[in-house]
Amino acid sequence: MKKLMTNLSILATSMLVIGNANADVRVNGFANFTAGITASDDALYGFDDRVSFSEQSLFAVQVSGDINDKMTATGQIVARGSEDFDASFDWAYITYAATDNTSVSAGRLRLPLFQYSASLDVAYSYHWVIAPQSIYNVPFNNIDGVRIDHSGYAGDWEYNFQATGGAIDNDFVLGGQPGQIAIDNVVVLSGELAYESWKFRGVYGIGKVTFDLPALNPALGQLGQISAELGSTLAAIDDTGTFSGLSIVYDNFNWFVASEFTLLEIEQSYYPKNTSYYVTAGYRAGKWTPFITYEKSDSNNDPKFVEQIGGFPAPFQGPLTQLVVGIQQGVASEDSTLSVGIRYDFDTNVALKADISKNTNDINDDENTLMRFAINYVF
Amino acid sequence: MFKKTLAGALLLLFANISMAELVVVVHPSNADALDSKLVQRIFLGKEKKFPSGSETVAVNQSADSSLRQSFDQDVLGRSSSQVSAYWSKLVFTGKGVPPKEVSSDAEVIELVSQNPAVIGYIDRASATDAVKIVEL
Repeated sequence: MKKLMTNLSILATSMLVIGNANADVRVNGFANFTAGITASDDALYGFDDRVSFSEQSLFAVQVSGDINDKMTATGQIVARGSEDFDASFDWAYITYAATDNTSVSAGRLRLPLFQYSASLDVAYSYHWVIAPQSIYNVPFNNIDGVRIDHSGYAGDWEYNFQATGGAIDNDFVLGGQPGQIAIDNVVVLSGELAYESWKFRGVYGIGKVTFDLPALNPALGQLGQISAELGSTLAAIDDTGTFSGLSIVYDNFNWFVASEFTLLEIEQSYYPKNTSYYVTAGYRAGKWTPFITYEKSDSNNDPKFVEQIGGFPAPFQGPLTQLVVGIQQGVASEDSTLSVGIRYDFDTNVALKADISKNTNDINDDENTLMRFAINYVF
Repeated sequence: MFKKTLAGALLLLFANISMAELVVVVHPSNADALDSKLVQRIFLGKEKKFPSGSETVAVNQSADSSLRQSFDQDVLGRSSSQVSAYWSKLVFTGKGVPPKEVSSDAEVIELVSQNPAVIGYIDRASATDAVKIVEL
């Protein structure tokens, strides 16, 4: 907490300096103050059965300034509880407005993978306490690169297309083990169409993926000693990964239903194909918005490359099967989450939220229940 | 259903009696034909030009004013909280800046009368010759 205060005061001071230097600088910010506690002996999203504020709380300040008529610089500094409130630049980019409809941004920016990617950290902008983790908790939400945005409308249809290219390098956790993920030559194309209360969105992305997961290195090393070919097939080194997603939203401002489906695959690697989706619905009764969400994430498939083992001499088949299947099962998961919650619009820039989630590990039937309370604020 | 409609109609009636009548205003030299859809797009930052091709600058009333609340509800079709959530999405993605807010009809009239790009809304009773009322 002390660290947070220090960080915030540094932020505040630097904002003040910038603010004084140039009257055209806009300073906005947002905060999610989220407390959670699980049922006795449960654990979910880093929460346990003692109240914790740090797992999903964050504070952010965004500064943007017009460089000239066409160019804007934007920086977003975020201090996350999960990172001990160490403040860091999540985004830092320059946008060039080529026309009223088309802009080009370059720098570190948000990768438009999902329906709510753009405002993922601004919990005030949506009904959930936090966007469904089955879909949104990916280690590559930001990218260093270039994004082109084009939007406009044709008749009553509004459209918005984005093309993004660049590279990603991030810490990540797979199968409970920490590691590093690098994705090069990333290209992501996305398009959204809106008509009256409907929104339809599609996205397709491709990139060269490299996983460095130290916990798996001994097993991959052993495999490589028996068969260099299988070893390199299973390892995720410079392998093509694809991401696709579809979403549909119906929101007539009185009630809404939304669903999103994503598919992530790195075919020539031990990473099992992941399919995830959620369905959410809510009803707005004045300041109150009760909602319900069901999420499912599934990468628990039949192991890949098993058929290649048949070509090896019989004595090798046992250990090969053990390694090939073992490596893949170690990172496979399947779980579903049901949550119900409520949002209360306390003021035009403050929302209070509460929810209860029950997460089920569909492989071992382990269940975890989490209750959260949140204050979301924007300024 | 009928009861609900009736109650709604009564409520509207009372609202009209007790509250101001909202009108959209532009500079007297602005000859563009504006409909409520275009006004909605301008105030949501989706349209940056009038049909004639000239720039638009939308001016909002402050968030706590009743005129703002009825503008959000009647013209933008959503509650002020939802409008604020909409802008929070655009602001924090660098895609837009919400309209500047002023705190009185007089300020709206002043800004509109000084700049042909400005579009705002006021109580019909406050309107002067310095602005042109847009019938939606």
